[in-house]
Amino acid sequence: MAVEDKIDIDVYKVVTRAIGESDNLEDIADQLAQLLVGALEIKGCTIFVLNPETEELEALASFGLSINYMNKGPVLVKKSIDHKLRGEPIIIRNVSKSDQLQYPEDARKEGINAIISLPIKLSGKFIGVLRLYHYEEWDVSERDLDSLMLLTENIGLAMMYTRLLHALQSVKETVNEVHPIWLSP
Amino acid sequence: MSSQKILLPYNFTSYDQKALDFAIRSFAHQKDVEITLFNAYTPVPDIEVRGSPVMETMRGNLGYLSQKIKEQEDELKVVRNKLLEKGFSKDRIHTIFEPKKKDIAGDIIDLALKGRFNVVVLNRKPGKIIRFFTGSVFNKVVTSLKEATVCIVS
Repeated sequence: MAVEDKIDIDVYKVVTRAIGESDNLEDIADQLAQLLVGALEIKGCTIFVLNPETEELEALASFGLSINYMNKGPVLVKKSIDHKLRGEPIIIRNVSKSDQLQYPEDARKEGINAIISLPIKLSGKFIGVLRLYHYEEWDVSERDLDSLMLLTENIGLAMMYTRLLHALQSVKETVNEVHPIWLSP
Repeated sequence: MSSQKILLPYNFTSYDQKALDFAIRSFAHQKDVEITLFNAYTPVPDIEVRGSPVMETMRGNLGYLSQKIKEQEDELKVVRNKLLEKGFSKDRIHTIFEPKKKDIAGDIIDLALKGRFNVVVLNRKPGKIIRFFTGSVFNKVVTSLKEATVCIVS
């Protein structure tokens, strides 16, 4: 039996507009997490940024997951659904049968049964992860998976934009701190 | 009236927990200190439906989203109870749970100024990469507040 599509063009529009309507990455990520949970009727969603020095996935936004689960410990990219080998989505239909989780017991206690993990890439570089959590076994349609991959590309662009914006603002603040007296000939 | 008003922004991370423990150790025994726990959440987005069945489903799920936000408010009450247990009296603890107005740093600064807080307790984890994307709350608050003492728990 064909798997039902949950992301139609209207949903896609609402979700991608959340990216365009703000220059605050936290707000964008919070709204995306909420909208994806609502659209896909799933338990939760987390958007991570990869720290390339520590190889830790730092949670940028999360929705639907408990505080205990979010504080379970550092999420290490090599131990937790590793995308570094293949830059493709990883679908764990049943977490109890998977050996790819870093904290399988915490996932079980949280009531998570399935996870879809999508790499966020920019110019081919792996910079983050969009992770979706379902309370039941999950068969996602190919089309929904395509839409989600497209969404991760938009998230990657938003991350780069806000990264550059903050760098530019820091430069501006530093320049503004230079008293005019130092600039006089 | 209390001689010191402390603002403790709280977002339920292990670092917030450290800041809370610091506030308890440092201020719980002082009877002239008031503490305010502050959490700013992202409100549930407003969705236009326009007859699409998938969008109707999505709107239906907004109830679930709102419920999750309510659970966050309840968690803040749990933190409040911890302060009570550790020695703060009921009349010295306040909680503010409200939708984000600007960004987290902007909301903290506005509240600290408006509420005339003497002390703001923040936490900071050095080496986090997220600050490059969202800006450092610590930097913005420290550079903006002139009249308050800012305690950093790292």
